[in-house]
Amino acid sequence: MASELQLIEAAKAGSADAFADLVRSYRERLLRFLLTRCSSLADAEDVLQDTLISAYRYIHSYDPRWRFSTWLYRIAIRNAGKLRAPDLVDVDSVSGLHDEENDPLLQCIADSERENLWIAARRLLNDDVFAAMWLRYAEDMSVNDISTALDRSVSWTKVNLMRGRRALDDELNDAAEESEAYG
Amino acid sequence: MPPKKVKPMDKLAKQLRDDAEQINVSVSDELDHRIAASLRAVTPVEESKRTPVVRPPLFWWASTITGVAAALAVIAIVNWQADEQPVSTPVPLAELQPPIELNMEAAKLTAPLQQELDALQSDLKKAEEKVRRDIGL
Repeated sequence: MASELQLIEAAKAGSADAFADLVRSYRERLLRFLLTRCSSLADAEDVLQDTLISAYRYIHSYDPRWRFSTWLYRIAIRNAGKLRAPDLVDVDSVSGLHDEENDPLLQCIADSERENLWIAARRLLNDDVFAAMWLRYAEDMSVNDISTALDRSVSWTKVNLMRGRRALDDELNDAAEESEAYG
Repeated sequence: MPPKKVKPMDKLAKQLRDDAEQINVSVSDELDHRIAASLRAVTPVEESKRTPVVRPPLFWWASTITGVAAALAVIAIVNWQADEQPVSTPVPLAELQPPIELNMEAAKLTAPLQQELDALQSDLKKAEEKVRRDIGL
């Protein structure tokens, strides 16, 4: 089986199949992430398609010093921002984007006794902090990779990961206290 | 070498990871075909194609000639303005002052002063005699 680097080289040479193989393992992860940032599944799919096309088109600009996933996420975040920006008065506010009935994220989450933490995260955190938290805890990315993907400084990333954690910790504690109160 | 300590995943991190996995989403066949078709329709942009546009050689010749002409014009204007300014030739300082020979004797240097003093004394004497004559002494 060809390594990631070999597939990248083949894609640079113009092999669409090699590129398709290269991104196959990333597609669902990207779509899951995009679902948290788009107002519908169709939008998330469109952004995923645009992201993969852009990545293939500009594969020559990929710097092998980065992880390939970091580079893909960087493109995806930019594309998702482009899609959303004209529709929003306040781009940082995510909470106004989804109504409960049509929220694609809610539709894709299995029924559970407690609220999915990512729903709470989307409600409590702004776009970039949410993305940083997602890349850290859902994608297991390093702080350096997150700062590269978000085009932010390492210190910004560290501080906002800490803030995001604190906000979600408080939310978790409040939920625990409530469930205790109701027995 | 002691084994590297692995930081245990805290409760929040574990819950975030578990909850991310709870989001059930998959790439549909339709999306898969769409992506494959659009990838086949696109070709990677080569590095060389993204470099700045190469200009024709005439462009460089034209800009060189224009630059040289502009420089010549500036030089000509500056020189023409310099000709119109009033000419003030500097006068050597040495010509304004009489030359003094520093190795001459002190008597020679004081001689003009002595002559002046003698003339003044003579004038004073004449004036004194005139006053005496006037008052009849």
